[in-house]
Parts: sequence; structure tokens; C-alpha cells
Amino acid sequence: MKRHMKIIVAVLLAALAWAGCKKEHPVDEDGLLITNRAECYVSDFDLWGADHQTVRTKNPTIDTVACTINIEVFFGTDLRNLYPRFSLVTDAKLDPKIAGKTDFSDLANPRQYTVVSGNRQVRKTYTVLVSVQQ
Amino acid sequence: MSFRSFLYISFCLPLLLAAGCKDDDYALPTPQSGLQNDAIKRTLGPNVIGLNIEFAYAMAILPDQGKLVSAQAEASIAGATGTYLEHRSFFTDPNGGIDTGVPVAEPSTTNGTTTSVTFNKDTSAATLRYFYRIPEEARGKTVNFTFSAKSSNGEAVSLSMGPYTISKMDMKLDMAATDAAACYISIEDMAVYTAAEATANPEKIDLVYLYRTPAGLTFNHALVAPAADPQYLPGVTLPAGVDRNTKIIKTWALRDRHLARLEFGIYIDDPDFEQKSFTDAPNFAVNLKKEAGAWVETADGKYRAYIFVNNVNNGSKTATISMKRYTMQ
Repeated sequence: MKRHMKIIVAVLLAALAWAGCKKEHPVDEDGLLITNRAECYVSDFDLWGADHQTVRTKNPTIDTVACTINIEVFFGTDLRNLYPRFSLVTDAKLDPKIAGKTDFSDLANPRQYTVVSGNRQVRKTYTVLVSVQQ
Repeated sequence: MSFRSFLYISFCLPLLLAAGCKDDDYALPTPQSGLQNDAIKRTLGPNVIGLNIEFAYAMAILPDQGKLVSAQAEASIAGATGTYLEHRSFFTDPNGGIDTGVPVAEPSTTNGTTTSVTFNKDTSAATLRYFYRIPEEARGKTVNFTFSAKSSNGEAVSLSMGPYTISKMDMKLDMAATDAAACYISIEDMAVYTAAEATANPEKIDLVYLYRTPAGLTFNHALVAPAADPQYLPGVTLPAGVDRNTKIIKTWALRDRHLARLEFGIYIDDPDFEQKSFTDAPNFAVNLKKEAGAWVETADGKYRAYIFVNNVNNGSKTATISMKRYTMQ
């Protein structure tokens, strides 16, 4: 019996040591995984109204070179209470984070969001240009 | 412990556990002696003035011990007209699954807070529905109920239910709004007025209903405050004095069960009105569809309401709306 116990303990210790030596994946200040991806762009963008329904009249025009997003919203959209929704390339994140309703009513000073790549080395600032259906 | 013992236990323990999990054979429960009773509340959601609170009150006694003589329900606040205790016991008809009532007592009589029935059939067990029509006097208060039954052997049982809080809000269903006709909505009166009626009470008009299909724009059915930007009131000439600036928050998929009468188990209650934030709310809501809704706060902050769009008709430029309204001050 003693011999069996010794074997079991040895196996457990080996497993523990193996798990303990495993290399940890790096994470950023938000606890998100930092990867090797350097891609940095917005793939889709939408705006939701207070009723959580889209207010865009058609697909937005996203210029990944000029870093602009042109989006047209329905006539009668309440621009002060909109929920922006970004789709980003894999592993990228957004700065500032979207915390909820956002005011897009100041059309002369469009809102800007920075996309940060998966490796956290590339940052691109996109400007959201909202126009109302006329 | 030897290794052999260890193996023996390892083999026996799962067997013991498997035996322990075996289901017991079903046995008919032994009925309790004496008169028994029980009740459940059948209605869900907030208790709104004018609606019913429905209970199912069950009572039974073993046939060799006696029969049911009477049953009664007593409310702490007398119910409004329409309060009654069912005098029929229901069963589900196997042909079609319809609830079918079998009269077992005289129709109920209500005397003040007490509603009672006297059994006129030899009945040992019955489940009677009790419908309490919520009276105006109960607004914002709590109501308790005491159900009781008597049997022919002299036994009596009773059961207390509650307290149940009665909502402060009001409700109005299926108001017809018509573009350029009955299109002026008053939250205070929970009514839709024509231009002539709005002219008589301009201070009560909070919203204008309109339907437009301008070329190239999505407008459709809309609820707009009289004080809104004129671009949201195209072709509307407001009656003199109609100028309130109402806050409106457009909503979707909030199909209150009372207002919509659809299958969705969502209820708007007093706290929803109290906690709703109208900060930065606009004064217009365009492109409203069937089953959309709008939270509304009157310009003076006295009332908050939720307006549900039951139906729209593009051809006749009409909408059927229902409203729950809460007085804030």
C-alpha cells in the first residue's frame, strides 16, 4: 500500500509542477489577452436608438485608410441618445470604451474612437461622421 | 487499511450509492382527516384599479365525514361592483380541453367586504374562483383576503392571503387616434381629442399623433410634443394654446401584458414610472410601428405614462393606443 501511495503522490507532484511552470499569456490593463495580431481596423459600425433598434438607413461607409465612418441615420433620430456598436478586427479593442448611451448631436465635432490592435502596438483613431436622412 | 480492504470498499461503495438512488414505488397519499382548504392567487402582475385579482380557493372533506356547506371570501377593503365568488366548480372537458363549470352552489352574494356562497349540491370537494374587482378606495394601499369554508359536521377552516399592494397607476385601453382628426392626446385625461376639443382644453394636450410619408424620409406614425421642432409636425396647425413640451422616449419590445394583451409576460408597475429617467429625453418619437411604445413625461412633471401602440393602419392614418399613467406629484 505504501508503495502505491508513493507513486500517486509522485504523479500528483509532477502534474502540479508541470502546470506551475506553464508560460502565462500576457494580458493588458483590461485583463484582455495580448496577441501577435497587428491588424487594426473597424469592420462594421451601427447606431442603436433608445429603443435598441438600429437607426442607420443603410450600411455605413468605413474608410480604413482615412479612418472615417460615414453613417446616415433616419429622420427623427434622437442624436443625443444613441448606442454606438463597433465590430473590430480580431483581438482589437476600443478606446474609449463604450459605456452606454452616447451623444452624437454635435455634428460639427464628431466623436472619435481609437482602435487598438491585438498586440497593443498599433492605434488608429476613427472619426464617426453622422448625417441625418434629409 | 490493507490494499485489499481498499479495493473491497471501492467496489461496494458505488453499488451502495446506486441502490440508494432507486425510486420508491408510488403510493396513493392518505387523505387528511377533517375539513381542509387551500388557495392560490391566479393573476400575475401589478394590481391595477378596475382589474380583477383572481384566486382559486379549494376546500374538501372526506365524504364519510360530511359535506361542504358554505364558502366565503373576505377582503380588507370592499371590492368594487363585479366582485364575486364563483358558484361553479370547473373541470377540463377532455373533448376540446375547455374549462367547464358545474354549478355546486347558489350564485354568490356580497355584503360589504364579504362575498359568500352556499352549497346546494352534495359536494365534498370544490375549487371556487374568487374575482376581486379592485376598487378606487384601494389605490396605493394593501389588501388582505381571508377565505373560509364550513362543512356539515360543524367544522370550519380559514386561510389568509396577502397583503397585496394595489398600484397607484391608471390604465386606459384602446384609444383611437386619427391623423388630422382625433389626434390630440391628453395624459391627464387619458383621452384623445379633436382639434375643437383641444381648443377648449389646450393646457391638457401633451402629444400630437400624426402619420406622414414624406418622399425620401422615414416618418410614418409619430407621437410629437406640441412644442417640438416644426419639422416633426409637418402640415400640423396646432390649436391656440396647445404648446406643451412633453418628453418622449421611444421604446420597442416592451409589450406590457395589460396593455398589449399578448403572450408576453411583461408588466409595467409603479416603480418603473418612479425610476425611469427622462434626462435628455427628446420631445418627439417618429417611425412608430405596431407594438412599439413610448415613455412619456408631461411638461410639468406631474404625470408619467407608457403609451403602447396596439395597432396602426397606414391606409386610414390611424393608430390604436393604450396607456398606463402614473401620477408623480
